[in-house]
Amino acid sequence: MKLRTLRRGTQGLGILLGVFGVTGIGMTHLLFPGLHCYACPLAITVCPIGLMQNLIVSGTVPFYFLGAIAAYGLFLGRGWCGWFCPFGTVNDLLSFRKVRFVRALSPVKLLVLVGTGVAAWRLADTWFCKLCPAASLTASLPYLGLGVAQVNAPFLLHMGTLAAVLLGIALVARFWCRYLCPMGGLLSLFNRVSFFGLRLQGDRCTECGLCARSCPMGVLPHREINSGDCVKCGECVPSCTSSALSIGFSLPGVRGRDPLRSTGPSSGSDGVPPRQ
Amino acid sequence: MKPTLVIFAVWAAFALGVGQEVRLGPAPSDVVADWAQAFVPLRLRATPPQPVEFDTGGLLLAQWGEIGLGTARYAFLLGVAKNGEVGMWVDSDRDRRLMEGALAGVRGPGKVEWRVELLATPAGGEPYPYPLTVLWPEGRGYVYLLGGAARTGELVVDGVGATFVLVDGDLDGVFGTKGDFYAVDVDRDGVVHGDPDGHERFALGEPFTVGEKSFRLSQISPSGSLVKLGSAPYAAPKPPLVPGFPAPEIRFTSLLDGRSRALSDLRGKVVLVDFWATWCEPCKAEVPFLLELYKEHHAAGFEIVGLSLDTSERDLREFLSAKGIRWPIAFEGKSWDNSVAQLYRVYQIPTSYLLDRKGIIRYRDLHGAELAEKVVELLSASLAPAPVAPGPVAIPVVSAPRPILEIRVPAEVGLVPGEGGSFAVRLVNMSPYDAEEVKVSALSLSVGTASPEVEAGTIPAFGEREVRLSVEGAAGGPSRSGVVEVLYHYCIGDSCFQIQDRAEVAFAWGEAPRATSLIPTWWLLVFIGVGLVVAVFLRGRALAAVGLALVGLSVASLVVGYLRGQATQAWRIGSVLCTSCVGIEEVRAEVPTLSPADRAALVAFAGSARLVVFSTPWCKSCPYAKALVGEVARANPRITYELVDADQDRTRAEEAGVVQSGRVIVPAILIAETKRVLFGTADLTARILAALGEIR
Repeated sequence: MKLRTLRRGTQGLGILLGVFGVTGIGMTHLLFPGLHCYACPLAITVCPIGLMQNLIVSGTVPFYFLGAIAAYGLFLGRGWCGWFCPFGTVNDLLSFRKVRFVRALSPVKLLVLVGTGVAAWRLADTWFCKLCPAASLTASLPYLGLGVAQVNAPFLLHMGTLAAVLLGIALVARFWCRYLCPMGGLLSLFNRVSFFGLRLQGDRCTECGLCARSCPMGVLPHREINSGDCVKCGECVPSCTSSALSIGFSLPGVRGRDPLRSTGPSSGSDGVPPRQ
Repeated sequence: MKPTLVIFAVWAAFALGVGQEVRLGPAPSDVVADWAQAFVPLRLRATPPQPVEFDTGGLLLAQWGEIGLGTARYAFLLGVAKNGEVGMWVDSDRDRRLMEGALAGVRGPGKVEWRVELLATPAGGEPYPYPLTVLWPEGRGYVYLLGGAARTGELVVDGVGATFVLVDGDLDGVFGTKGDFYAVDVDRDGVVHGDPDGHERFALGEPFTVGEKSFRLSQISPSGSLVKLGSAPYAAPKPPLVPGFPAPEIRFTSLLDGRSRALSDLRGKVVLVDFWATWCEPCKAEVPFLLELYKEHHAAGFEIVGLSLDTSERDLREFLSAKGIRWPIAFEGKSWDNSVAQLYRVYQIPTSYLLDRKGIIRYRDLHGAELAEKVVELLSASLAPAPVAPGPVAIPVVSAPRPILEIRVPAEVGLVPGEGGSFAVRLVNMSPYDAEEVKVSALSLSVGTASPEVEAGTIPAFGEREVRLSVEGAAGGPSRSGVVEVLYHYCIGDSCFQIQDRAEVAFAWGEAPRATSLIPTWWLLVFIGVGLVVAVFLRGRALAAVGLALVGLSVASLVVGYLRGQATQAWRIGSVLCTSCVGIEEVRAEVPTLSPADRAALVAFAGSARLVVFSTPWCKSCPYAKALVGEVARANPRITYELVDADQDRTRAEEAGVVQSGRVIVPAILIAETKRVLFGTADLTARILAALGEIR
């Protein structure tokens, strides 16, 4: 089975879990391994970022929350973004322009994560949720339909952020996942030690840079393999003409999980060949 | 013929179904005595209670107050001019301007009195003139309001009329509210005994009996123009406590010798029935005199029955032995709930009755030389009936005892099981009397928990005190709420009252306490962080080892979190949708205000409605929704409301339809009559008004 077909299947499962409330199951004690608003009328899982803010507001030492995040992070790392997260899937489906774009902005998502926490601590409110585009899509719009929400300033703010993010994604592939997602930022901390990842056979790599061109996150797989920005979607694997890349479960630190120690740029200063 | 019969049948059905109607009008002063003059103290302030236009420049002292009669609020000003003249200005037309001249007051020794007539506007009733006397003890920061707008009418039972009197006892301008009372001349002797312990005075919910029939009030018009009577199961009439009538029988066990005694066993003796307590200073002051009187006349047939309203047997025994009191003492340890005190409707102490040799009440509340004189008179009278005609009774003008301390407790107290905690109780004295020996205790926390008690001493007139009550961790399962009980007494002149008042307090129990271990559990989280940082620098097997170690740490962290109930906490957070938290609408944190138009629309609401407000502790807009509904209910007394913590009482929330797709949506307001639920806070007043409009 093609890797992408398999991934579309697991992404479908992610969406299914997101709307599993349609079966009548109410809220469960589980944390969603991605960004999916618990206010969604069909959600049966708790949004980790929403929970994090509430825990900060209530001053709880977050054993359950961090334990769950660590378990998810160690299992797939940011693989959840590429293989499961429904909002990641929205990003994926709208990713037409796989460009390398201001890589230096990538840590902004960590700032968003910290900012979310600081806002919850100082302002004692869930400020991220009021801006979150995933909540716009899965809470604001459905509740407008259910008659609980009205078209008011918070609703328009939600719609504004959603429109801006969708525009961003259309211009830069996985714009949200790349620069802004706090959940992605949280999972990226575990990317290096997760048990799921890409492997690179250094002796086969010609550093042609084709993999980089296929990457929706704008990463150079052969240079930055399993880096914090890699969502482990595996788009690079079939693009490699010399079959140097593979994806699957392995112990962190095994051969091939670390980036190639290149001697220098082969073509172009950033290792990406010029487009034909 | 037929139409007449039909009309008669309809009229008969109506009369039977509705019961008797009594139309009431302002009471002439010869029908009601001083007992129909209720009074309440009112504190004055340096600033007006509402923006009022007035130039206080020419005044040496300006003190403001506000009189509320129904929905109307009248600001008034007491001013002392530079020449020493005292004036009172009332904004009687409620235009927020004190343009009229000062009212002429009547000066008495140490006091100034003004008679005013304001318009009371009870919600749902016709406005009516309300005469009030404002009494200012000169130089003080408070006034007394005297009034009650007594209403009287004629009640006909079996063809014989009886006078009916209705009094607005709490002076709020609305008849039928808590604190109001009524009196009926049940024995039809032409005198209404409406004194606080009179046998013809009744609380609003109390039935009364005329002849063989008992009635209760089924409807009271807010303006006091009409009451409707419904029939009630037969209730024994209250025994009269006026001279000329036999004293109700008392049976008790004497505290000193343990013997059973009865008042009827003392026939043939002149008996003083004396209600007293060791905490009552005027009662104690009387004791040396009683001892002397007892010594002098006991042999001649004088007996005293002391009915103690003490709560501490030890204090009482110490006092009795210190003073050498030998007469029989009844003690139940129940203070005001003492069965004899209830029978004699005692509302203040000292209270005493002097009975003749036949057990007939002859005098009450005699003290000093007067008492000695009457004892001698009754002793010297033969057993033949003495021609003592029942005459008018002199009773000091006081209202029934009412709490003078306002108990303020926090809306919710956070506690940790096993560890307990403490909370502050604020006691505000709203009266010009000192509240003495104030005791505060927490009750019914859980089974087996001793009630912690704090003595707060004396709270001076209009003073405040804060006490902290410590609550033990629950042994028999944490209770969700408790009761703060405040016990104190106060004296007005020589009359003392003991008050037992209560306030409910809600408890929010936090996480269960953790067992202390060698390494604090939060190290787990630190290790995870350290592992992630170290992983950045490692490669190969070392990285794999760190990865595996992190798996162990994350599982341990999950287990610790689960054991601490954090999974449930996550579920609780996830299963409640607070509309302002996820940005469905703005946070409303301001104090809600009703516009005059909204208020008028609410007052015009003629049906009855019950609003149930569902909230959760972390919901940002819920306090706004709760406060707004409170305002709405205040605007129209026919609207009642209830607050429900949807997080605690999920079943109730589900029944109400506040749960949608497994999520409790807060704030939500259920209109009980129509089952309509209003979510969120946007345009809430308008939506409440629209929902009330649906009730028919």
